[in-house]
Amino acid sequence: MDAALKRRLAARFGERLTSPIHQRHDETEIRIGPGDVPDVVRAVHDEPEFRFILLADLAGVDTGTSMQVVYHLWSETSADWLRVVADGLSREDPRVPSVTFLWQGAEWMEREAYDMFGITFEGNRDLRRIYMPPDYQSFPLRKDFYLADDAARSPGAGVRHMEQSHTPRSGRTETLVRKTRA
Amino acid sequence: MTATPHVHPPQEVPSDDPRVELDAATGAFEPIPPYPPRTERESEFYTLGDGEMFINMGPQHPSTHGVLRIVLKLDGENVVDLDPVLGYLHRGVEKLCENADYHHSIAYLDPLEYISSLFCEWPGVLAFEKLLDVEVPRRAEYIRVLATELNRILSHSMFIGWMALDLGGLTPILYSLIERDEIAEMLAALTGQRLLFNYLRIGGVNGDLNHEFLSRLGDWMSRATTQIESNLTLLNENEIFVRRMRGLGTLDKETAFRMAVTGPNLRASGVPLDFRRAHPYSVFPELEFDIPTRDEGDCLARYLVRIDEIKQSLRIIDQCLENMPDGPIMAKLPRLLRPRPGRAYAAVEGPRGQYSAYVISDGTDQPFRMRIHDPSFVHLQSVGVLMPGHLIADAMAVMASLDPIMGGVDK
Repeated sequence: MDAALKRRLAARFGERLTSPIHQRHDETEIRIGPGDVPDVVRAVHDEPEFRFILLADLAGVDTGTSMQVVYHLWSETSADWLRVVADGLSREDPRVPSVTFLWQGAEWMEREAYDMFGITFEGNRDLRRIYMPPDYQSFPLRKDFYLADDAARSPGAGVRHMEQSHTPRSGRTETLVRKTRA
Repeated sequence: MTATPHVHPPQEVPSDDPRVELDAATGAFEPIPPYPPRTERESEFYTLGDGEMFINMGPQHPSTHGVLRIVLKLDGENVVDLDPVLGYLHRGVEKLCENADYHHSIAYLDPLEYISSLFCEWPGVLAFEKLLDVEVPRRAEYIRVLATELNRILSHSMFIGWMALDLGGLTPILYSLIERDEIAEMLAALTGQRLLFNYLRIGGVNGDLNHEFLSRLGDWMSRATTQIESNLTLLNENEIFVRRMRGLGTLDKETAFRMAVTGPNLRASGVPLDFRRAHPYSVFPELEFDIPTRDEGDCLARYLVRIDEIKQSLRIIDQCLENMPDGPIMAKLPRLLRPRPGRAYAAVEGPRGQYSAYVISDGTDQPFRMRIHDPSFVHLQSVGVLMPGHLIADAMAVMASLDPIMGGVDK
C-alpha cells in the first residue's frame, strides 16, 4: 500500500471523490462521478506527481443497481495500481465520457464495454459492437441477461448470416430482459 | 422366403423456413455491410475515395493467425485503411467464469490462448489469491516461474516461425515446431496436458516436479542454447529477411503508450517496461535477468527483442532449478472458497504483454465479475495505426510482428 499516493490523491482531488480512498494489497482505489472522468484521468496522466501513463485495463461493471466503468493505471512513481472507478451510472442509460482523447488504445476496450454492457462512451468515434453480431439485441454481461431466452431472441445466433440486414429496434431500453420476461 | 429390401424415401431438405434462402452464394463475404453505417468512423471507412477499392481478407486466411476478418481499403497495392471484424472466436469467457466457482473458472481461463495458456491462468489465480489473502508456498512459486518461463520460450519460438511464414519463408516454422514440441512434451510430463495445461491452482500448483519432466528438461537445457542459436541463423543471417523487416511498421514510444501497447512490442520501442520488474509479483525480485530493449521500434526490433527474451528465460530457468526450495506445493485451503466481498486486480508479464484480471467478489463461491485483459486485443488494435501506407504483403508482416493470438483477442 502506497500511503504517499493516497495523501497526494486526497490533496489533489479531495472534494471530487465520492467515497474514501480504499487501499488493499497493491491497489489504490478512488471513486469519482462519471462527469469527472476526463479531468481526473488527464490530471493523473499529465501531472508529474502522478504520471500514470499506461492504461492497463478498462472494464465495465454491472453491480445490479448501477453501472461502473473501471480504469486500471500504472505509473513508475508508485508501487500501486491506481484503480479509478467511475461510479453511479444509471442502468437505463449509462453514459460516461470517453478517454480516447488520452489513450487511443481505449477505443476497442470501450467498444467491448459497450458491446457487453451497453455503456455509451461519449466522444468515442467508433462505438459499435465488437464481438457480438451487428443485429444482436441485448448486452450479455449485464446481470439481468438471462442466457437461454436472451441469446435465442437475437437473430444473429446461428440462423441468419451475421452480416444480413435487419431493421433495428427503436429504443435501447427495450433490450432489457426483465421487462419482457415479467 | 426372401426379404424385401427396405427402400428409404428420398429425403428432402425442408424449405419452408423463410429465413433459409440459398439464392445468393453462401460463404462469400461482401466487404460492404448491408446495413447503414452505425458510427462516424464506419461511414468514413466505407466511403470510397478516388481509385480506392475494398478487399475482404479472412476469416479463413492462413496468415491471420486465427479466425480474423479484415476489410482492407486499398489504393493499388497500398493499404489506405483497415477495419478488423472480430468475434468469430468469441466464447464469452467472462460470462462463463461468472457462472462457475473459483476453482472451476481457472479451466475457463486456459483456452483463451492456445500458445501461452499458463499466462492466461496466472493473473486470474493471482487475483483470487489476493481476494482470499492466501500465502503461496515458495516451492510452488518457483515451479510456477519455471513452468511459465518454459511456456514463454515455447511462445516466442512459435512467433519466430510464424513471422518467417508470413514473410514467405517456409522452413523456419519446422524448426520452431521441433522446439515447441520438445517443450510441450516437457510440460505435458509436468501438467498432464500438451496444450491447455490447467496447472495453476489457487494457493499453489497441481502437481510436483516429477522425474520425467526433470530428465526431459535437463536433456533439453544442455543443448537449448546452441539449438536455438543454430535455428536462428536461418533468419538472422538472411539478407532478404533482415532487409525486409528493417524500418517496417515503426512504432514510436508515444504512439505505443497512446495505444496502450505493452510487452515486447513496447520494449522494442525503447521502453524498458517489464512487469516482472516494474510491478514485481511471485519470486521475480529474487531472480536475476535483464530486460532487453531496442530503440528502432520496427518489425526487426520486435523480432530481435523476443530472441533476447528467450535467452533471459533460459537464465531464469537455470536459477529456478538451482534455487528450488523444498516444501509443500499447495497452501491449505478449504474446498469451497468464499472470499469476503472485495475487489482484486492482478497482472503478469506474458510473452505478448500484460495479461491481467480484475475480479469482484460478493461473498459467494462464484466471482461476481471477472474481467480478463489480453494484450493481443490491444496489439491487434494498433495494427490499424501501423498498417496504413504499407503494401499488402508488408501489412501481413507488420501484423505478424505484433504477434496477436485470436483466441485472446476474441475471449
